[in-house]
Formats: sequence, C-alpha cells, structure tokens
Amino acid sequence: MSRLISCMLAMLLAASGPFSGGALAAEGGQTRGQRAPQFTLPDLDGRSVELSSLLGKGPVLLTFWATWCKPCLEELGELQKYIPSYQARGVTAVAISTDSEKSVAKVKPLARGKKYPFLVLLDTNSEVARRYYANPIPFTVIIDKAGSIVYKHLGYEKGDELEVQRTLDLLLQRP
Amino acid sequence: MKSLSRRQWAHRPGSVGPPLIAAFVLLCARSSAQDSLQAERLLPEGLGLANHLEYSFDWKTKLEILENWLNLDYQQRNVSAGVRFEVFQPNDPNPSISRGRSRYADIAFKYVGVRVGTSHEGAALTVGNYYALFGRGLILKSYEDRSIRVDNNLLGVKAVGNYAGVTFTALTGQALNFSGERADILHALDIEWNGLGFLGVGGTFAAHQPDAAGAARTRLASLRIQPRLGSFDFYGEYGIKQNNDIREAAFGDDGGIIGRALYGSAGWYLGPFSVVGEYKLYDNYGFRTSDQSSLYNSPPSLRRDYSYILLNRHPSPTDPDNEQGFQLESNLTAGEETSLNASYSLTRTLDAGSYYQRILKTSSLPRTAFREAYAQVTRLWTDELTLSAALGYREEFASNTKAVTPVLDLRYALSATHSLRGIIEHQQVTDRTTTEKYFDDVLTLEFHSAPDLSLSLVVEMQTREPASGSRERTWWGFTQVGFKIADHTDGTLLVGSRQAGNICVGGVCRYEPEFRGIELKLMSRF
Repeated sequence: MSRLISCMLAMLLAASGPFSGGALAAEGGQTRGQRAPQFTLPDLDGRSVELSSLLGKGPVLLTFWATWCKPCLEELGELQKYIPSYQARGVTAVAISTDSEKSVAKVKPLARGKKYPFLVLLDTNSEVARRYYANPIPFTVIIDKAGSIVYKHLGYEKGDELEVQRTLDLLLQRP
Repeated sequence: MKSLSRRQWAHRPGSVGPPLIAAFVLLCARSSAQDSLQAERLLPEGLGLANHLEYSFDWKTKLEILENWLNLDYQQRNVSAGVRFEVFQPNDPNPSISRGRSRYADIAFKYVGVRVGTSHEGAALTVGNYYALFGRGLILKSYEDRSIRVDNNLLGVKAVGNYAGVTFTALTGQALNFSGERADILHALDIEWNGLGFLGVGGTFAAHQPDAAGAARTRLASLRIQPRLGSFDFYGEYGIKQNNDIREAAFGDDGGIIGRALYGSAGWYLGPFSVVGEYKLYDNYGFRTSDQSSLYNSPPSLRRDYSYILLNRHPSPTDPDNEQGFQLESNLTAGEETSLNASYSLTRTLDAGSYYQRILKTSSLPRTAFREAYAQVTRLWTDELTLSAALGYREEFASNTKAVTPVLDLRYALSATHSLRGIIEHQQVTDRTTTEKYFDDVLTLEFHSAPDLSLSLVVEMQTREPASGSRERTWWGFTQVGFKIADHTDGTLLVGSRQAGNICVGGVCRYEPEFRGIELKLMSRF
C-alpha cells in the first residue's frame, strides 16, 4: 500500500502544479510542443494519405476510433454534426480507424453508411496509434498548421466536444 | 475502451519502483485559462514521452501487482528511435504474462528506424524490436494489446520499400517464447500492389526455423486479392502451411501441405444501410514458436467485441487450427435519431477429413464451437435523452453454455457538460452439461463532468440454483473515479470487488481472477 500512497502523493503534487510550465505555449502565433509524428495510411479506397499533405492548410483534428468502440461512435456522431462548419474554415478532420484485421472489413460499410463527412484512414496494426500513444480509444488530437500537437484527450463523454471546438476556434483566430 | 484489469500477486514490500515511476507524473503543467490552448510540454522537438502505470492490491488475499510501461520516442526528419522501459514488480502471476519472472525491470522494446525517399517511392529500415501485419493476419500479426497483455514483438530487422504502387516488406526476427527467450528465427516476405486503385493484390511467405538441430522449418504462404467496386468491397486470402517432419509423421511423405486457411469478406453499403459478410476456414493453420507458447499469426476471429460487461465476458478464443464459420453484420442509420445494428455468427469445428484431425489421428464429427446473435437499437428521444436497447444470444462449446443477455442503456444530459448514465444488464446462462441455470445482473450508474471527471458505481449479482428450491446469491460491487491531472495524465481509481472472467479482444482472451481491492491506473502522455 505504501507504493500506492507514493503514487497518489505524486499525483497530488502534480495537480498542484509546482512544476507547471504555465499556460499558453504560443509565441508569435506559433505553438511549441510535441511535433506530430508523421504517418502515411491508406484511406477507405486504398489511396495513401500522408499527414504532411494535410498540414499547412489549417488545423488538423485526428480522432482514433474503432467500429466496436461505443464511445468512439458517439464521438464521431457528435463530430459529424459540428465539423462541417469548421471544415469550411480550413480545418481537416481525420478519423483513424484502429480496427484490427478482425474488424477492419466493417469500417468502410459503417463509415459510408453513416455518411461521415471526414477522411477515414485505416491503421490496421495500430502503428500510428502507438506513435501517438493513442491507446485506449477514443483518443483525440489537434495539430496546428505548423505541425505541433496542441490538444490531446482520452475518452469521450458528452461535452468533450466543447473543448475541441474551443481549441479549433483559437487556432483559427491565429494568423 | 478496454475492460479494467484484475490481477493478483504475493505482497512483497520494499520496492522502490513506484515512487520513481510516479515521479514522471511530476513532469506536468496545467492550463485552464479560457483564452488559451491546452498546455504543451516543452520537450525537445521530436521527442515523445508516455507512461502507463497499473497498480492493484487485493485486500482479501494481500496480493499486489505493479506494472509500468515507460515509452520514450524520438523522431526527427527521416530518423526515429525509441525505447520502452518496463517495470513489473511484483509481476502478474499468470505464467503466460510473467513468463516465470516474478520481478522484472528492463528495456523490453528498443528500435532505430530510418526512411529515405517518400512514402510512395522510398524505403524504410527498422532495426531492433518491431511489429508487423501482413494482410489480415493469416500468416503474421506481431502486435501489442496491453489490455490482454499480448506482446509478440519481433527482435531483428524489418525493411519496407515502396515503388509504383508496390509495397515490399522483408523481415527477420525472433519472438519471445514461454521462457522469455528469443530462440526461434522467423523470416518473412510480403508484397502488395495497389496500382489500379480499385484492385489490390498481394502475397506473403514466411518460414520459421526452430531452435532445435535437425528440426524441419514450418513454411506458410498465401495470396490475397482486394477488389473495390463502387459500393462493394471484397477481400479474399488463401494460404497453405508446410512442415516436412509433421507431414512425414502423419502422412508418410514429405513436401506436402499440412494446413490451409481461407478468409473472405464482402461489404456493401447503400445510403444509410450497410452489410458485411465474412467467411473463415482455419485448418491446422496456427503459426507458433516451437514451444507452442506464442502465435505469430492471428487470423480474423469473426466474433464481436462489446462495450457491455456481461456480453463481453465469454471464454471463446479463436482457434486458428480448427475453425470454419461465418459472420454477418448490418447497420442502418435512420436519420440523426435512430441507428440499428444486427449481427449473426457461427463457428464450427472441422470434420474428420481436415488436416487438423488427420494429423491428430482423430475422427470427431464437426460441432458448433460458437454461435452468436446480437441486435441493438439506439434512439435519441430528445436532445437530452438517449436510449439504447440490446439483445444478445450466445452458445459456446468450450463452456457448453448458452446465454441470453438483454441490455438497457439510458443517458441523460443534465447540461452541455454534465450527464448521467444508467445501464442494466441481465444474463441468463444455461449449463447444457448439468442443465443448471444461473443469472447475472449488472447495474452501472455513471456521472460524467466533461472533460475532467467521471464517477461510476457498478453492482453485480449472480443468482444460482444448484438444486431445485435452493438459491445462492453472490454480490460484487465497485466504485470508480475517472480523472485528469493537468492535460497530460488520465487516471482511474477503483475500489471494490469484481467477478472473475475472461477479457477478450478480437478472439484473443485473458482470464482474470476475481478481485477484491483497490486498483489505480495512470496514463501520461507528454
């Protein structure tokens, strides 16, 4: 039990923020932070899509999901409602399916059937998910147009989308 | 999200691991200002850091387990490198997880990679530990799934080349066996062509050299095709397996086939409706290390994974040596308010003419190994209220049981960021060997305050009737708090008891014993 207490004390110290780096890591319109790992993944029609080809135009929202994951489908349903207005303002939304070989056959029919208005990519062996530490899922990442990760969130509950929208709004206000 | 884990180990005080591990949590920052972005760690560019800690203490047995995985990765331009430092002390007592090591701390995964050219015309080389998947995993799937403690990474060299729509992969490596040694050698080649867009074709060859003088290699080869025609999607793969020693012992000759596999899927969508059908035939196609402890391949299981507790608690791992069956699944989205999902799957064992039975010299009749039907409807009644109702039916030969499971899932939004959820699950199980019936009921109540906090209360009651007129009830219950620390750490703290059961992901299962105690999980990403 002593270990558990040590862990919990460390958590409390962390929450109190003595080592806090402060607030916004943005200077001159640019953010500093972890660079988004580059990747190339196939889309639902077998075409390769590179992250680098999506950057530079505006913020990129990545969400890692799977067909068997109920909160993931709830998040995608919510994303489906609000993301078109952001896409019109330059945001690229990408839903990266981590369905393994066991369920990847269901991804395209499901995504097409639900008419998801965003790019769906297949990460069948979770290679990209591992590089983004996206396990468990759903896991959402926002990348600014310079390629830095500015937002990460694990899980989905109703209301989480507000923080995503707030982050996208802030990024879109930047020059 | 995966189920929570329940494991035990002998209490051994005095470890210094946890405080050191917990110190990583101190690498934190917090930003809650409404006009700012989420805080970013000012790590050197290209660096990534993640820590995953799981601690459990069973107060009934005084046993504890601590597991920690620390990942450090670096990527700059075309070079990447990383390590994963693992601390298991005390380790999980399950021998398939601990591999005989009660206390363990080591760099278990390390790699260096370099890429030249582009992803369309270029090459990548990885030296060290790596994962790989060919096709749908009929021949090779090297992967990690921490929720079921599977990690069959290979240690060696992997090269991938891309040119004119062709992807060529060659690798050589060694997987851990039961003793925690990398003894056997695996060589594999895979080529895939997607030059036409509407058609993908590929092939795989793999050879496994046992660490035993004079032992024959096991060789597997497969061809696959993946046409995409409008709203239709197809995938087909056929593979064979050879091993001269086994062939000679079973059939008196050498050079012939000792196993085969066939997997196919067809998907179709029209407007809001979609349907997928899959077929499998796995006849003596398991591809293992020579001590039989680690599988190199993991073909599609054609089983569902569920988010609900009782539906996902089933002892039904995929058997890549002795299965034949199919699965059908359909989805219908009716407007923004209603969605329907239904599926049916059947898995049977193979007949006496199969390679599997001929090699074992048995003549069993085929039987149903697994049958599953499931239907779910979800409806958004108002902006605040969402209701899901589900009904599952399952037959399993391994436990010789059949189960009927209705589920009711209600979610009510109190505000834009606060919600309540209630789930009622009931499962009626019939043991077809003893004709005994028993019932499980699970009630889950959750409160969510997005994005930082969730509270859950889960109560389970099992009712058994071992003899007519007598009734036995067993209760389990736990509370769980889900929280965030700053913007980099997600945690759950669980206190209470949980029923024993299998955790299955895609037909790969891990048994977890009953647990009564406290469990902490922390996942940090920087």
